[in-house]
Amino acid sequence: MSNTEYQNDREKSFSPEESLQLIQTMIQKTKDSVAVDSFYLLFWGWLVFVCCIVEYVLMVYFKYPYHSFVWWTMPIGGIISGVYSSRQAKKQKSFTYIEEALSYLWIAIGLAFFVMVFVNIVSEAWKTAFTYYILMYAIGTFVSGSLIRFKPLVIGGILNFIIAAVSIKFNFAGQLLLGALAILISYIIPGHLLRIRYNTKKN
Amino acid sequence: MFKELDPILHSQLRLAVVSLLIGVKEAEFTFIRDKTNATAGNLSVQVQKLKDAGYIEVTKQFKDNYPQTTCKITSKGIEAFEAYVQALQQYLQVGKE
Repeated sequence: MSNTEYQNDREKSFSPEESLQLIQTMIQKTKDSVAVDSFYLLFWGWLVFVCCIVEYVLMVYFKYPYHSFVWWTMPIGGIISGVYSSRQAKKQKSFTYIEEALSYLWIAIGLAFFVMVFVNIVSEAWKTAFTYYILMYAIGTFVSGSLIRFKPLVIGGILNFIIAAVSIKFNFAGQLLLGALAILISYIIPGHLLRIRYNTKKN
Repeated sequence: MFKELDPILHSQLRLAVVSLLIGVKEAEFTFIRDKTNATAGNLSVQVQKLKDAGYIEVTKQFKDNYPQTTCKITSKGIEAFEAYVQALQQYLQVGKE
């Protein structure tokens, strides 16, 4: 051990007050490091929003029978999202409990979507699929917003619970529009607000 | 009677490292170095001491051909930290009286 290191190790005479101060400072530093990334909200938000609107237009105005093809963009979106998150993981230098909780939450929601797609294919459930999709958006954004203490996401989530309840009374075309509205409120608007907040924090 | 302050934690840099790790699940060596403003040499000595005491877990692996050291607090480390904070509180209360 070198001399300076030895000296550093000897600095034991600091007071309990200084000790407490140091603990507080360090805990504060980890709080700031929670990486909140608006990419996923904006990417999925706009993708789903555009799909809902395009499918609605194809179905209602063009009477195009294969209108559901728009959803083939979802697996492609999954790949893009996956590549992005693996690149981000390489850059990330710390991993907080909140980030861990968020990642498990969204993995669970992603799995739930796989199950729902399967159920929609093998049954007639697709007619009211958006009721359940919107419920998923509600859970995801409400929990995420609460964990990162970001009100617009929490509010978006709560409103989505209401939209989900209302949506069951609509036919499939109406459900598409409600889906677009739900994603606008819970992903797109909070996503842009989060991006603004994040950018202002960095500067 | 005063509880003795844990000598392993009652050192500025080691306490800083443990306080950081209390707040995160795991952190890279470089992250801890940046947040504590310590030199790599001094930090690795203190990290080794915390590891020897069983307060933290240190994993070394390669990521994109670069060595990467990740630190994580153990349950023994959490207990020691809690006991240390309790002892601190005792000191501070006596100071007020």
